[in-house]
Amino acid sequence: MATYLYAITGADHPLQLSGVTGVGDPAAQLRTVRTKELCAVVSDAPDGLRAKRRDVAAHQSVQERLLADGAALPMRFGLVGPDDAQVVSALEEHRDTYTQRLEEVDGCREYHLKVARDEDDMLREVVRESAEVRRLNDRTRQHPEAYDDKVALGELISQEVQARQDRARTDIVDRLAPLAVRIADVEPTKQHFLSVSFLVEREKAAAFSEAVHAEAERRSDTYTFGLHGPLPPYSFV
Amino acid sequence: MTAIQQSNASSSGSGSGNLYDVLELILDRGLVIDAFVRVSLVGIEILKIDVRVVVASVDTYLRFAEACNRLDLESGRKAPSQLTDLVGEATESGAKGKSKGALTGAVEAFTESLHKGQEGSEEEAEERPARKSTSSSSRRTARRRED
Repeated sequence: MATYLYAITGADHPLQLSGVTGVGDPAAQLRTVRTKELCAVVSDAPDGLRAKRRDVAAHQSVQERLLADGAALPMRFGLVGPDDAQVVSALEEHRDTYTQRLEEVDGCREYHLKVARDEDDMLREVVRESAEVRRLNDRTRQHPEAYDDKVALGELISQEVQARQDRARTDIVDRLAPLAVRIADVEPTKQHFLSVSFLVEREKAAAFSEAVHAEAERRSDTYTFGLHGPLPPYSFV
Repeated sequence: MTAIQQSNASSSGSGSGNLYDVLELILDRGLVIDAFVRVSLVGIEILKIDVRVVVASVDTYLRFAEACNRLDLESGRKAPSQLTDLVGEATESGAKGKSKGALTGAVEAFTESLHKGQEGSEEEAEERPARKSTSSSSRRTARRRED
């Protein structure tokens, strides 16, 4: 029977798993696979498992439960090994790495920040600040058929937008960085120009949250800040 | 005066009302063991787009150019405060709409105003009901709390 992996903890983790179940329908029973120093929380891997909402939620619930009592390395969703014996081998083979990472994330939580900016607001700024954009904008407004000018306008705007987003991103991250242990940049999405995870010590969580709100306050209301956390340290393992 | 959406995915037992917000982390981050396999994420990978390619394409240029041509250059400066409130709301609800589309039913909206005084209360275990801020009604925070 294939083995589904949820997380890796130190052997001294209390592993209070009662009331939490695993992926699949019916939900798989959680169990542990141990070596001398480490412990893996696993279950049988249900046949035909897919990333359904229920399963992703189950995976996440296991992390939350483990995190409440000590350090845990969350596995990426959907990781399946051939059997328990192979899990033991993996724990032994990577023992030093896992032990070190557990120390690194101990007492820390991940906070994920996403920031978006209203596009029209950004475009207005670009038009205000670039004479060339204004020139091309006037020209293409009067001559909608001027394809090359349109492309040139769009390309110029694209560069200006990128530059502004890069500046804002650096600006925001730099201001929050002192409160984080580590930072993991996620590729920005179409919607959010900033998508960054911060590893924050528990004692600094409140200060970090304050800092994010202060940062949001500094900006105009055309920015949207989304802060998610505390989370298992997915981005730092 | 920026719209802030804050959430806590670690809402014990709640079935993670905002699972979508952290979906990319659960599916795309986390520890892997090279020798092990991953279950298929068919249908979910559409979340991942190569943004760099999208941004540097003629389609994007034309879209930007047309958006710029259509732009009312004055409205940004003259907007009354009422209008800016609406902008904030539209942005936020737009994001939620998208979320729901991408992972059906995963997102519940929990709105609550930002309460500075409660920043440090990490030990609170309950979700709070929606509430209006007394200091600024245009600052809105969707949040779940727990630890």
